[in-house]
Amino acid sequence: MCSLAINLNLSVIFMKTKIIGALLLPFILAGCIGDDIIFDEVDAQVRFVLWVDTLGVDDSFQFEVRYTNQIGEVEEPALTWISSDTSLFTVDDTGLATGIAKGDAYLVCEVEISDRPTVRDTAFVVIAGETGMQNLATERTGTLKTTSSYVLEGAFKLKEEGSGLVLELESDYKASSSLPGLYVYLTNNPNSTNGAYEIGKVRTFSGSHSFDISGVNLNDFDYVLYFCKPFGVKVGDGKFEN
Amino acid sequence: MKSFLKYILSITFLMGISASALAGGWVQKKGHGFFKLSQWWVIADQHFTDRGLIDPNTTNGIFNTSIYAEYGFSSRLTAIAYVPVFSRAYFNNTISGTTGELLVPGEAINGLGDVDVSLKYGLVTDGPVAVSASLLLGLPLGNASGGTAGNLQTGDGEFNQLLQIDAGKGFKVGKLNAYANAYVGFNNRTNGFSDEIRYGIEGGLTFLNEKVTGILRLYGIQSFKNGELTGGNSTSIFANNSQHLTFSPEINYHLNDRWGASFTYGTALAGQIIFANPSYSVGVFFKL
Repeated sequence: MCSLAINLNLSVIFMKTKIIGALLLPFILAGCIGDDIIFDEVDAQVRFVLWVDTLGVDDSFQFEVRYTNQIGEVEEPALTWISSDTSLFTVDDTGLATGIAKGDAYLVCEVEISDRPTVRDTAFVVIAGETGMQNLATERTGTLKTTSSYVLEGAFKLKEEGSGLVLELESDYKASSSLPGLYVYLTNNPNSTNGAYEIGKVRTFSGSHSFDISGVNLNDFDYVLYFCKPFGVKVGDGKFEN
Repeated sequence: MKSFLKYILSITFLMGISASALAGGWVQKKGHGFFKLSQWWVIADQHFTDRGLIDPNTTNGIFNTSIYAEYGFSSRLTAIAYVPVFSRAYFNNTISGTTGELLVPGEAINGLGDVDVSLKYGLVTDGPVAVSASLLLGLPLGNASGGTAGNLQTGDGEFNQLLQIDAGKGFKVGKLNAYANAYVGFNNRTNGFSDEIRYGIEGGLTFLNEKVTGILRLYGIQSFKNGELTGGNSTSIFANNSQHLTFSPEINYHLNDRWGASFTYGTALAGQIIFANPSYSVGVFFKL
């Protein structure tokens, strides 16, 4: 009798243990960190960041470009420099151009990418009496647009100020205040915060305001990106128009 | 019948992360109780935005292993506690689809969740409709800013007080026992979080020789959006100004007079700033 009671109790305990085990099973199986694959490819591009419109005859000027790969990372690949008319100016394989005779021509910089179309940027160059001023923009502008269901709009301006930069959001700026943890970035890949420069957390959701930025240059990035960190979701972006 | 209803409404408590239902309009008899060990979880790769639309997000998971307990101190006064004894929150690795590179490593935190304690008083215990009033205190014992970026939570970090009225009625559907319950409550939240109205209706029917109880539940939270907190760092389900309307069917299987098991599914029909994937719960309960 006693043995039977013990057996019954053990059966009940065993049954309850199995139930509790079954309860914990989904937790054990599903509680592991998995992988989310994001589609973060962008077009590789090469862009002039230092150039002149007018090159003097017998003068030389060092043109500079910046190349970003398919995920927006800055790389230094082999560059091919091409003068459209070598009777007007020549260019060496470092981008150093020298004026020969007066006229109009194009300077092309190309990057060959395996299995993909070659990317290039072109500068129109006038060869004249003397070299003109360097085209160094002191500010860049763009317009925010939402890429999600959250409100994001308004014009912005990135400009040099002192030894750093200032990102100014104009009076037409508007962003959703509902998001938990909205951050603003400078990036070359609007699909990801990978390699992006985190400016800071968004604390103003309408009207003009600004962010002070240090440690980066005016031409380092192509986009302003708004990203919700806790959700890990892109809210919107704005490409620099110049 | 009333005893049956007390039992059924007791076991209908399984809101997973919230004790908002507070077991209906019935209270426990003196010395009687109800205890439940359950596992609730949601894995979400999308959420309702502030405009009620659905947007994708990094996959987040929240798992609560909880103990729920009711005990009748008198024929009118029941004490209730909901204790997530083990809570786990995580988010997935983010991998570049272009390079396969790990862009953002996933993280997880484990710990205690926010604890709810409440007292329920039976205002009407003998009438055709049982009515009770409850005061719930939400104790912020969970982690409100875990992980490297502080965006993993097992709690919301605020002390809230919920005052709730429940009304329930038992009836027959043919030869089967059935019940219906409705509740509404005001949730006062602190630390800049918006106050809320919580509401719900549910109906239950017992069948298969009183072995199985099926429950259909519709409940929600409406935020007043009067909190000062903006741009917090919380993910849903702990974000400020979140609200939802959720449909949640549940099946309870009674092993015997004291023990049983429950299975619950919940899906938000509408919402704002809250995960849009279904939640699940399994549990075993014991009636004292």
